[in-house]
Amino acid sequence: MSGTVPLERLLNRGGPLQGVRVVELTKVWAGPHAGKLLAFLGAEVIRVESRSALDSSRWYNGDDIDGAAGYQAANPQKLSVQIDTRKPEGKDLLFKLLATADVFIENLRPGAIARAGLDYEAVRRIKPDIVYLSMGMHGNDGPLAYQSGYAPCFAALAGVSAVVGYEGEAPTGMNIRYGDSTAGAAAAFAATTALLHRQRTGEGQFIDVSAVEALSSMIGDTIMDYAVTGTAPRCDGNRHAEMAPHGAYPCRDGEWISIAASSDEAWRQLATVIGGEALAGDARFAALADRHRHLDALDALLADWTAGHDAAGLEADLQRIGVAAARSVSTVDMVSDPELWGSGYFHTVTDCRGEDRSILGPSWFMTDPARLNRGAPRLGEDNSYVLGDLLGLSDAEQRRLAEAGVTV
Amino acid sequence: MHERSALGGIRILELAEGVAGEYCGKLLADFGAEVIKVERPAGSPVRALSPFGNGPEPENSALFAYLNTNKKSVVLDVDAPEGALLLRRLIESAQAVIDDHAPGWLAAHGLDPATLPETAPELVVCAITPYGQHAGEERRHAEDLNVFHSSGWGFHTPGGNDGSRVPLKGAGRFLVSYETGLDAALCVAAALVGRARGGAGRFIDIAKKRVMYSRLDYVMGAMLAGDMDVRPDHTALDLGGPAAILPCRDGFVYVWLSDEPMWRALRGMIGEAPWMDEDFPHNWLQEACTPDRVARTRRHLTAWLADKNKHALAAEAQERGVMIVPVNNPDDLMASPQFRFRGFFALVTHPALGEAHYPTVPYRMSGTPAAIRAPAPSLGAHTDSIFSQAGAVE
Repeated sequence: MSGTVPLERLLNRGGPLQGVRVVELTKVWAGPHAGKLLAFLGAEVIRVESRSALDSSRWYNGDDIDGAAGYQAANPQKLSVQIDTRKPEGKDLLFKLLATADVFIENLRPGAIARAGLDYEAVRRIKPDIVYLSMGMHGNDGPLAYQSGYAPCFAALAGVSAVVGYEGEAPTGMNIRYGDSTAGAAAAFAATTALLHRQRTGEGQFIDVSAVEALSSMIGDTIMDYAVTGTAPRCDGNRHAEMAPHGAYPCRDGEWISIAASSDEAWRQLATVIGGEALAGDARFAALADRHRHLDALDALLADWTAGHDAAGLEADLQRIGVAAARSVSTVDMVSDPELWGSGYFHTVTDCRGEDRSILGPSWFMTDPARLNRGAPRLGEDNSYVLGDLLGLSDAEQRRLAEAGVTV
Repeated sequence: MHERSALGGIRILELAEGVAGEYCGKLLADFGAEVIKVERPAGSPVRALSPFGNGPEPENSALFAYLNTNKKSVVLDVDAPEGALLLRRLIESAQAVIDDHAPGWLAAHGLDPATLPETAPELVVCAITPYGQHAGEERRHAEDLNVFHSSGWGFHTPGGNDGSRVPLKGAGRFLVSYETGLDAALCVAAALVGRARGGAGRFIDIAKKRVMYSRLDYVMGAMLAGDMDVRPDHTALDLGGPAAILPCRDGFVYVWLSDEPMWRALRGMIGEAPWMDEDFPHNWLQEACTPDRVARTRRHLTAWLADKNKHALAAEAQERGVMIVPVNNPDDLMASPQFRFRGFFALVTHPALGEAHYPTVPYRMSGTPAAIRAPAPSLGAHTDSIFSQAGAVE
């Protein structure tokens, strides 16, 4: 079967990483996300997959392994080749493919890649200048590297969860969806700097990414606070050391608005709207330290006021007077966001059934971006391109490998 | 000369004055780029942000010290004619520029995004804003908190909120800025790869909102395509089930439970647990996960955890295939054998703040590791040396 998008359009998409070939042996979200970002920058990203060790995210839709929603979200614009790397012939095929690759990404369970004989030393023998990107919860090596977990485990281990919660209560942690995409972004960045080094010197290298450390980096100043002052952070609700008010306040119809007063001037603007000159001149709230001292009263006063307002209208009113405010959006709002639709952030691509599908594009806009034209691949959608065009196998040889269960 | 650093020999001009732009610059500087930070005469506004250590202003901000390792600082009033001239020379000497001012600022300072292909065809310019270069006047004022809410994270933090609690800001003050700085650094590095392969420069428009929205791609992609229901509830992104942060003797642990093998493994670990026989049908986690069963599970687990210490318990759990991890605090991170093994903390000596262990980066690299070679610069420390170079160029 041929793919739904002509090869020519699939391989010549422009973008800064046009011409870079990435091969990935990845599962679920964090690993695939790194590959996705590289694909969004123009790289040709080939997923090596097999029915014998299928990415579990292909199963989350029951038996429809090509229609699984999460899989499709994590793997747009990639190619898929079926190779059972546990069979000797399959491993040879992967090595042949890696000999043509610039980057290899793996995020298998701890130790699995070494047991498969696909560790850095093995791959660099085939392709000395490969950029080899290994991702794990705790990284590839070290006393706790054997441990595994999902994204909320990364966040707990990273120190992130401990600082999210209501004052005086147990931590709640971030939303359960937080973590994988951050780890993937950190990995993609590291790999891209390695590609630059390779471009300039011809040298490849091994990159070992810890998802836990990627999340610790997202609270770098909290950790610095401890490092420099010895202050142990606590759950502090919506408090902010440099801003008050700073939080979410209820509006009509169960909606919320976020308001942050980043200066005394911003507060006076806000106070004037809420309570005129009397409130703007209220000594309890004059300076940041005063507002922090009377934070409960301040928050109650704001919540009283916002409760009678429509969130969207209030956001517009506050923006007009220079106060940082934004409506708190639900998933209903998120899929219909006019700004995101209007700006070209959402793209329409052809999915593996030949139908149009809306996808999230990259977070960035740039001059001469990589074009996006295809959704996530059907399992083995690009077998003939990878096995035939890239590896030079004849049709008969490809049929033999399929019948022998090597490319299933 | 720069074979051990990925970005050695590359000059990047940092015009940014906020956490997102400074973090982007730091990520690139730690890889060896020469990042020249242009500061207003009073210094970067980040120098006025906590936490503060010892020493005089404006050199005592630990936040600034963290975000500006390996950079050079030049003081320039870019709004004065002479400053504008010097800025132009600096721009001409750089391969990339990082900015995070409001849309329009760059154009007013000689770098109009619309004419860059003609005026500076080889330059990479990355501009970071809350809502993107095309956001109207009605969307100009946003702190990280506001982006957290306008991108969908705020409404859904924390999980399990039935609407009775106020949504939370997420971790720390600057999570949104760090996430954004990371994507910005990725794009700058990619654009530099494009340049090294013979391509042209690029203008890069980074919006904090799009970055945070993209961090939810796995679920939002499904919702956008109609594969997953959207609903105006705070729990719309939750997975349900008993997974939770629970108290133990010396703090908190995070317990993940999602299928029958995990339930059985937990049972093996707890040992005597008659409560697990009370109305928990086979495969209940996937097929009969009721609020009552979730509540009872959490209650009994909390009792079981009361005399357990988080690190020892987590180690035993991993051996048994039970997913329990400690909820770590910064002191746990600094003591962690794993963080130590990987060298995540680097001892940095800063002239005002003294010695401290700084968090570094999550990627270890065999060829070109990131490294902190110099502490954050004092205000204007490199003004003379940089401009004598610039003068020499002229």
